[in-house]
Formats: sequence, C-alpha cells, structure tokens
Amino acid sequence: MRAVARAVADGALPGRVWLYSNYHCNLACSYCLTESAPKVLKRELTAQHMLEVATEASALGFTALGVTGGEPFLLPHMPETIARLANVLPVVVLTNGTLFNTARLERMRPLADLPVQIQISLDSADPIVNDTMRGPENWRKVIEAIPSLIRRGIRVRIATTGEEIDDDDLARLCSLHRRLGVSDEDHVVRPIVQRGRAADNGMGVFAEAGDLPPELTITADGAFWSPFGPTVHGGTLDTDLLVTRATAPLSMPASALLRLVMGRPAGSDAKLHIR
Amino acid sequence: MSRVDLLDARRAPLLARPFYEGGDPGPIVAAIAHVPEILEAGMPFLSAVFGPSALPVRLKEMVVLRTSALLECRYCIESHSVVARGSGLSRDEVLALRGNKSLAGHFTDAAERALLDWVDAVAGETGPVPEKVSVAFRAHFAEPDLVEVTLLAASTMMLNRFCTALELPSAPITVARLAEEELL
Repeated sequence: MRAVARAVADGALPGRVWLYSNYHCNLACSYCLTESAPKVLKRELTAQHMLEVATEASALGFTALGVTGGEPFLLPHMPETIARLANVLPVVVLTNGTLFNTARLERMRPLADLPVQIQISLDSADPIVNDTMRGPENWRKVIEAIPSLIRRGIRVRIATTGEEIDDDDLARLCSLHRRLGVSDEDHVVRPIVQRGRAADNGMGVFAEAGDLPPELTITADGAFWSPFGPTVHGGTLDTDLLVTRATAPLSMPASALLRLVMGRPAGSDAKLHIR
Repeated sequence: MSRVDLLDARRAPLLARPFYEGGDPGPIVAAIAHVPEILEAGMPFLSAVFGPSALPVRLKEMVVLRTSALLECRYCIESHSVVARGSGLSRDEVLALRGNKSLAGHFTDAAERALLDWVDAVAGETGPVPEKVSVAFRAHFAEPDLVEVTLLAASTMMLNRFCTALELPSAPITVARLAEEELL
C-alpha cells in the first residue's frame, strides 16, 4: 500500500482532496475567507485539471473529493464536470445555492445516480439575519433551490456558518431544513474562521495549521493544508498554509503534506473540528 | 526596494517555517519561500555548497566575493564583504577582490592566484577555461577541489543573478558593518 493510502486508511490523513474551482462569486459574504465577489480575479482550475487531480488522487489512495470556491456553479461546465469527477471519487460540492435555475437543474439530473452531495450554505432560519451576512434574496433562493434539487434525486447538505448560534436559532433552523427535506445527518454547523473578509470584520475564531484538518487543497495558486488555507486578505493570497506551489503531479503536494503531518508532535491534531 | 514580496515569518509557508526558526532568514530565503518546495530542496544544496566543507573558508569567500564582483551583484558583494572580513580576509584583500585594488598586489600566494585566475575564467568569461589557467589550478588543487570551486562559483553566479534581478535589499546590520569599515 502506498504511503498516502496507508495514511488515509490509518486516519492520519483525511481522505478528501479539495479543489478550488474558482475564486469569483456572485455574492460577497461578510465572512468570506477568500474575499470572493463578482469582480475578483477568477483564478480557475480547468475542468481537465480537476479531472486529472481526481484521477491521481484516486490512484494515490484518497477516497473523496470536495469542490469549492468562489461559487463553483459560475463555471458553465460545472454540472458535467461534477459528474465526471464523481465517476472517479465521491464528490461534495459547496455552493451558495443561488444559481439553480431550471436549465441548470435539468443539467444536474444525472448527478442523482452518482455519489454527489450538494452542500448549500444557509446561516439562519431568519431571512433578514441570513441575508445580512450573505446578500439580498439569498435566503429565498436557497429555500427554493433545496427542494428543487431533492425532487431531482440529488442529495443536499446544508452548512451553517456562524459566530454564535443560540439554541433557539438552531432549533428553528433545524426545523426549517427538516421541512425542506434535509436530514439532521446532512446539516453541518461550523464556526467562522478569522481569515479573509472575516478578519477585517472582526468575526470568527483564529485558526492555524494545528487547528485545521490537513485536507489537501488544490487551487490555481498552489496546494494548501486545508480548504481554509488559500484565503485572501487585502487582495493578497495568504501563504501561511501553502504546502507547495506546484500541484502536478499530485504526488508532490500529497507527499509534502504527508511529511508535514507525520512531522507533527504526537497529540497535535485539529482542535476546531472544522469540516 | 525589492522586486518581490519578501515573506516574513507570519506568512511563511509550512515547508518554509523551519528556515525562520532562528529569526529573520534573510531575503534570499524570504523570496524563495514563495515556492516552498524549491526552498526545501534548494537550501540544503546551497548550505552544502556555501557552508563548511573541505575547502578552507578563506578560499571559499574569495571565490564568492570575486564572482559576485565580476557579476556586479550589489547584494552579494555587500553581504560577502562582511562575511569575508569575518573569515579573516583583510580590508585591502576585500577591496582587491571587488576590483577596487590590484589583485596581484594583494594576493601573492601562488595557489590563491591560481584559484582567482580560475574564478575569473569561470565567472568573468564565457566558453571553456583556458588550458594555461587549468594547468596552473591543477598544480595546486586536487580533483574534488576543482569540482567544489567550480560549483561554488557557478552557484554564486546563480544567486548573483537572482539577487540582482529581484533587487534584494542588504540587511541593515550588513550596511552598518560596511559603513564602519568604509566598505560601502
């Protein structure tokens, strides 16, 4: 068994490889780690590059893929690319859920038969609270998109990101996602990480490598320790969680990440349990 | 002003962090840190080439400073003028290596003259080293010395161009030391 496969099997290395498909987004959320917005540099991975990463990740012994951004569905090829990726490894795609018009939803139908989860951000049961952080009309679009995807047989997860979610807020949110057809198992709550725009707005928790699971993350700018690594602050890419500038062959950043993980003192592990 | 954003310890990529553990690693590391896999692979090589080895440190600094002078690398000339002084070379010898005084007048040892002629042929010219220079060098140095001196000169040339192209800044402590010795 190869080193990466062994580390994944032993639990020393998470099995998921993340792909930053792009950095641009139709939203500009107040806590966005990557300062994503409509007019930022796109910095995309091509569909072919993503497929090559997936193929090599599988060969190395990784067991799953994640696609994030930016907003992945701003890339016109994304529904078909997800299908191709999911034919290699199971995929979770992180999206703001605002771009699922009827035409795109129809193109996503084939994903129902593949190991694909669409993870949509929804931060509050209250539209005003949600939209204050995520932008006008976000709540309404998400609430429409979730059942539309589920009706087409596509598995949907909901991710709630927040600073302080009290029990009442959480209860209302859980009630809402159950009504929308999303089970408790498919609802994740995670803290805001104090990087990117969140740092400027004084939001979130400080996190460094030891706080974050070492999930190999491939971007147009290099390979990072975690999907919370390739953050942008003041328009400049953060480099503190950069592993290697080169991303191909994938074995190069994978072996570098493995050396970093194996070089950590015993007992060092992710403290924040951020997924 | 450097042409490249020099990464400080706070922004050092994971593979680069060991190079910052002793404090400011200097602008060459802070620049190469942008490509941490090259830093990780390259620094052990550079340390082996420039660090303690079978060649006396005096000779090594002569090679580095002379090469840097021939390639007119301000950063390397300034840094290695200080290192050369710390390695026992006199102020006049430093100035001679930099081309400000006569080499022949300050380096009279036959082996050192042969070494400097070899370096001048490697770093100051293109094409093969003239036979006469090679024969003189081999009269004083063994085969491994030939390899090490040439590799040291060639590595210095690489860094000379890197530091010059990126306009890396000399450390304030280096500038202060040079001012003290009137070597600026």
